[in-house]
Amino acid sequence: MGKARILIVDDDPDITEAMKIVLENEGYNVLQAKDGQEGMGKIKDERPDLVIMDVMMNTLSEGFVLSRELKSDPRYKHIPILMVTAVKERTGIDFEGAAGDDTWLPVEGFLNKPIKPEVLLSKIKSLLHEQ
Amino acid sequence: MEGLLQSTSLVKRAYWLVRLRWAAIGVLMMSTLVASRVFYVLLPAHKLYIMSGVLVIYNFLLYDLLNYFTWGGKSPSHKTISRIITFQISADLLILTAILHYSGGIENPCFFYFVFHMIIVSILLTRGQSYLQATLAFLLFGSMVWLEFRGIIPHYKLLGFISHDLYRDELFVFVTLGIFLTTLYLVVYMTTSISFQLRERQEDYEQANMQLKEKDRIKNEYVLRLTHDVKSHLAAIQSCLDIVSNGMTGQLNEKQSDLIERACRRTSKCVAFTTALLKLTKMKMSGRLDKSMVPLKNIFFNTIAAVEDKAAAKSINLGYEMSPAIDEIYGEAVLIEEAIINLLLNAIKYTPENGTVKLTASDNNKDIIIQVRDTGIGVPEDEIDKIFDEFYRASNARKIERDSTGLGLSIVKQVIERHGGRVWAQNNPDGGSTFSFTLPKTAINPGEPPSTV
Repeated sequence: MGKARILIVDDDPDITEAMKIVLENEGYNVLQAKDGQEGMGKIKDERPDLVIMDVMMNTLSEGFVLSRELKSDPRYKHIPILMVTAVKERTGIDFEGAAGDDTWLPVEGFLNKPIKPEVLLSKIKSLLHEQ
Repeated sequence: MEGLLQSTSLVKRAYWLVRLRWAAIGVLMMSTLVASRVFYVLLPAHKLYIMSGVLVIYNFLLYDLLNYFTWGGKSPSHKTISRIITFQISADLLILTAILHYSGGIENPCFFYFVFHMIIVSILLTRGQSYLQATLAFLLFGSMVWLEFRGIIPHYKLLGFISHDLYRDELFVFVTLGIFLTTLYLVVYMTTSISFQLRERQEDYEQANMQLKEKDRIKNEYVLRLTHDVKSHLAAIQSCLDIVSNGMTGQLNEKQSDLIERACRRTSKCVAFTTALLKLTKMKMSGRLDKSMVPLKNIFFNTIAAVEDKAAAKSINLGYEMSPAIDEIYGEAVLIEEAIINLLLNAIKYTPENGTVKLTASDNNKDIIIQVRDTGIGVPEDEIDKIFDEFYRASNARKIERDSTGLGLSIVKQVIERHGGRVWAQNNPDGGSTFSFTLPKTAINPGEPPSTV
């Protein structure tokens, strides 16, 4: 089985680049999108095996919207989502506690930026059931 | 602009008037008794007792009326409470006139008591109302005196007190009424001008206070935004550095690796700092706590688990003990755990290897007391009050750990005070220090702003 395809949806090009290097170093195929709309397009066209997305891009809730859109569509709801953010404290939301709650944060995993490469990889492996 | 008292303080004053009236009724009955039985002043005592009775009933009704308007903690409108006070004062003037009538009219020096009403009304109500009440007082007293003077209503002599028929002495009546009138107006004039000045000053203070609060809110908003922006840059820097230091972009030579390591360390300190600042600011801004009854056992378990690796790395003996009487605490579990973890990490950081750090919980009827005791470096006595201040770092702590946020204890303080508790630090007689905080047992909500007075 070939290595998984991972889509990174984040408006921060430096973070995206760094994650891309870590993931490609492990042999994953990495796709990029800079906002929710482009992300949705890439998901439709490329059918990635996993999506990493930031909570806040152009708007404060773009990540939330995109994750709900994906999870409510039978064609994409099986794709695991890893939510990342640098501003957990700003929102006052208990992401770790809420991740997996289908009604309002329907994602499979959550990590707080900055993310250590080994933490990112182990999370991704577990979401892809590679371990 | 005319400064007005807030309706809550008017309500307090209305109750105060009711209480004063009970005292006045007592004094009226006592003095009637003493005057008629001890000094044998001839007066229609039964009429005065009837007046006292009327006052008692009237005061009970007023008390009920006030209770009705403030039932269940509601606050009557400014207009309503002003009307109640106006009514009280006017009724008091009427009753005082009636009492004076039955006890010698103008010959009874108690007519000076009208001055009290003028002072009260000048402090509590508007200028117009105060002059109106002064006029009412003069009209009531003046017409009573005039009617007695003209013999239209009977005059009750204070036989045994004043021997002359002063009430029929034109000059006496005229001069007394003149002085009475000027006294009333002057009292109102003086009292209102002073009390309005005071009210204006109070309003200025209140306004300044509001502005300060607003400024503080803007400052917090600003810090939040700034810290957020800084943190996202830091996150990117850290991510890039981690990749280079992990060797994912090729092996580094020793010098390069050392420099990258240094940069990584400093960045992660910076991230820790912005995270703490975000947490603290967020906490200051958010409205209410999400409190519930939480088993203390769970909190101890989670906090000990969160720090035991760090303690083990320094061979520090980490222990805990809780009084069996304590079952649950009332608070927001995540925040309380955060506070305890901060205290434990501090204790571990500033305790030398092979030392002891102990977490305990005890109970003093009213509060639950949580303490973290260590065998560490202690806190210099003259700095012990400052260590909970934002960004403050004790001088001896700075020597051990150069880069630290100086926000950990501020977060603890913020969390505990919002729970209605208290935090403090003490040095142990046998070395080390003890950091303690209390949590109220009852489900009170001191974190919420108290209703304004």
